[in-house]
Amino acid sequence: MLVRDVMTTPAVAIDPDEPISDVTALLAQRGVRHFPVVENGRVVGIVSDRDVRTVGSDHPDARPGVRPSDPVRRIMHHPVWTAHPLDPIEDTAKFLRDHAIGAMPVVEDEDLIGIVSASDLLDALVRMTGVGQAASRFEVELANRPGALARLLTRLSELDANVVSVLTPYSDPDVVRFVLRVGTIDARHVADTLRASGFDVTWPPTQP
Amino acid sequence: MKPRVRFVYAPQLAAWRLGEDHPFKPERLDALKDLLERTGLLPDELVRAPDALPAGSLEAVHDPGYVEVVRAASHGKRLEEAYRHGLGTSDTPLSPGLHDAVTSVCAATWTAMNVVLSGEATRAAAFSGGLHHAMRDRASGFCVYNDLNVAIAHARSKGARVAYLDVDAHHGDGVQDAFYADADVLTVSLHESGRYLFPGTGYGSELGREAGRGWSVNVPLEPFTDDASFLEAFDLVVPAALEAFAPDVIVLQAGADAHALDPLADLQLSLQGMRAVYERVVGLADALCEGRLVVTGGGGYAAFHVPPRAWAHAWSAMTGAPLPERLPEAWRQRWRDVAGHDLPEFALDAPQDTLPESRRVAMTSHNRAVARRVLDVASPLWARRVGEEST
Ligand SMILES: [Zn+2]
Repeated sequence: MLVRDVMTTPAVAIDPDEPISDVTALLAQRGVRHFPVVENGRVVGIVSDRDVRTVGSDHPDARPGVRPSDPVRRIMHHPVWTAHPLDPIEDTAKFLRDHAIGAMPVVEDEDLIGIVSASDLLDALVRMTGVGQAASRFEVELANRPGALARLLTRLSELDANVVSVLTPYSDPDVVRFVLRVGTIDARHVADTLRASGFDVTWPPTQP
Repeated sequence: MKPRVRFVYAPQLAAWRLGEDHPFKPERLDALKDLLERTGLLPDELVRAPDALPAGSLEAVHDPGYVEVVRAASHGKRLEEAYRHGLGTSDTPLSPGLHDAVTSVCAATWTAMNVVLSGEATRAAAFSGGLHHAMRDRASGFCVYNDLNVAIAHARSKGARVAYLDVDAHHGDGVQDAFYADADVLTVSLHESGRYLFPGTGYGSELGREAGRGWSVNVPLEPFTDDASFLEAFDLVVPAALEAFAPDVIVLQAGADAHALDPLADLQLSLQGMRAVYERVVGLADALCEGRLVVTGGGGYAAFHVPPRAWAHAWSAMTGAPLPERLPEAWRQRWRDVAGHDLPEFALDAPQDTLPESRRVAMTSHNRAVARRVLDVASPLWARRVGEEST
C-alpha cells in the first residue's frame, strides 16, 4: 500500500500567524492531533496537540515565554519532514519510528494534499488483515519452496473459495506460515479438503 | 397466568434446500416440530401459520436492486451480477426457488414479531429464521435475506424499541450493521471471536456510531468456551445492557452452533448451558418488557443431533412446559433415517471437559477480561444515553 491509500485527506492547514489559542480550539473541534502549517502555498511546519497544550503550562516540554496569544510560528516544528503520496507505507512507518514523530504532511509538487499519521498506518494494518469482509481464517504451513502457495491457491479455487487476504506473519528457513482469510462460513469443510490433499492446516482444528 | 405463546410454522419453511449436501438443513425444523408434538409441548392451537410478508418489507432492509438480482438469479438470470452480491458461491448456491424460500423465512419471523406487537401472544418463535449474516446488498454465510432485520424494522415502524440478543456461535454482523447508528435498537452478540471464526467481526471495540453509540455490544469469546465461562460472560454483560436500554420487545437469535458438537464452530457449550441461556432470556423479557419475546433459530449444523433439542429447550422455557428427560423412541427412529446416523437418547447432555486444565483456566480468564472491558467501555455510554432521554 502507498501513502495515498491510507492518508487522511484533505489536511486542515493553518497559517503561521494564527494565534495558538485558535489552534487549540480547532484541534478539539476537528478531533485530529496534527496540523500542517502552510505559508504562501508551501508547507513550512507542523504542530501537534502536545505542542499546543503545553503552551503556558509548567510542563517540561513547554517553550518558555510562549503565550496562547502568540502566533503558531513560535511553536511549530520546522523544517518539516513530508511524505509523498507514492511513498510505500512501510517506509513511512519506519520514518515515523526513527524520528519519533506522529505524523507527516503529504506533499505532491509542493502542494499539501493530506496528512499521514501513525493512526492511519494502524488502520491500514487492520485492513491488511482482511477484517471488514466476512471471511473465515485459515492457518496453513507450507514448505518454503517455489510453487507451494500456488498449489494451495489452486486447491482453494477448485473449492470455489474466494481468498480475501493472505498474510505471512512469520517464517523460518524451511516453513512459511500463511494466514488466509477465505470468503466462506464453512471453514471446516475447506480445511478437511485441504488436509485430504496433504496440506498442513493448523487452524481451524480438526473436529474432536 | 399461563403465557400466550405461538410457534410460527408452515411446511414450506422446512422444505427448501440451499443445495445438495449443504450444511444448512431447513428440514431440522420438522424434526423439532415432530419432537415437540410427540412430547406434548405443541398442541395444534399454538401453531400459527405465517402471514404474507407485506409489500416493501424486504426493501425496507435490503437494497431494492439486490432484491431484484436475487429474484432474477433464482430464475437463472443476471448470474454475473449475482456473484458480486455473494450469490452462486459454495456458501449460497443459486436454485430456482431461492427467492421464494428465503422470503417465506422472512414472513415467518415478521409474523412472530407481529403476533407479539399486536398482543395476539406474549412470546412467539420462528425457528426457521435467524439468518443474521445477510447484508443490505449481499448474501453471506448461508443467509440471503435478513429475516431478523425485516422483523426489527417492522417493530421500529410501530415505535417499539428492540433489544436483539444473538447467541449463535458466529457474530451477528448483518443485524449489527443494519442498526449500527440506531438508538432504538440494541444489538448484543456473544460469539466465538472473529480472530478465529467467520465472519471475522464482532470485536469489543464495535460499539455503534452516532446516536447508536453504545447500543452495539460484542463479547468475542475464545475457542472451546464452555458453559460456565459463556454464562459468566452473559451474566456480566447482557442483563446490564438490556436494563440500561429498557426495550419494548426482545429478539433472541438462538443459533445452536455454539454447541460442542457443531462442525462449523469451536465453542463447547452443552444443552445444559444453552437451556440456562434460554431461561435467562425469558426471565429478562418478563422483568423488562412484560414478557414480550421473539425467538428465532439460526446456525446449527449438527442438524438433527443438536438444533431440535436446543430449540425444544428454548420452546420449553418459553411455554413453561417441561421436556421429558428421555426423547421418544419413535422420534429417534423416524429422524435417524433422515439424518443417516443415530440420534441421542436424552434431552440434555453432559458439559464437555476435553480441554486441558491450563487452557481452560486461560480461556476463562480471557473471556472474563473481554466481558469486563466491554462493560467498562459501554456502560458510561449507556448512562449518558439514558440521561439524555430523561432530560
Ligand atoms: Zn452461526
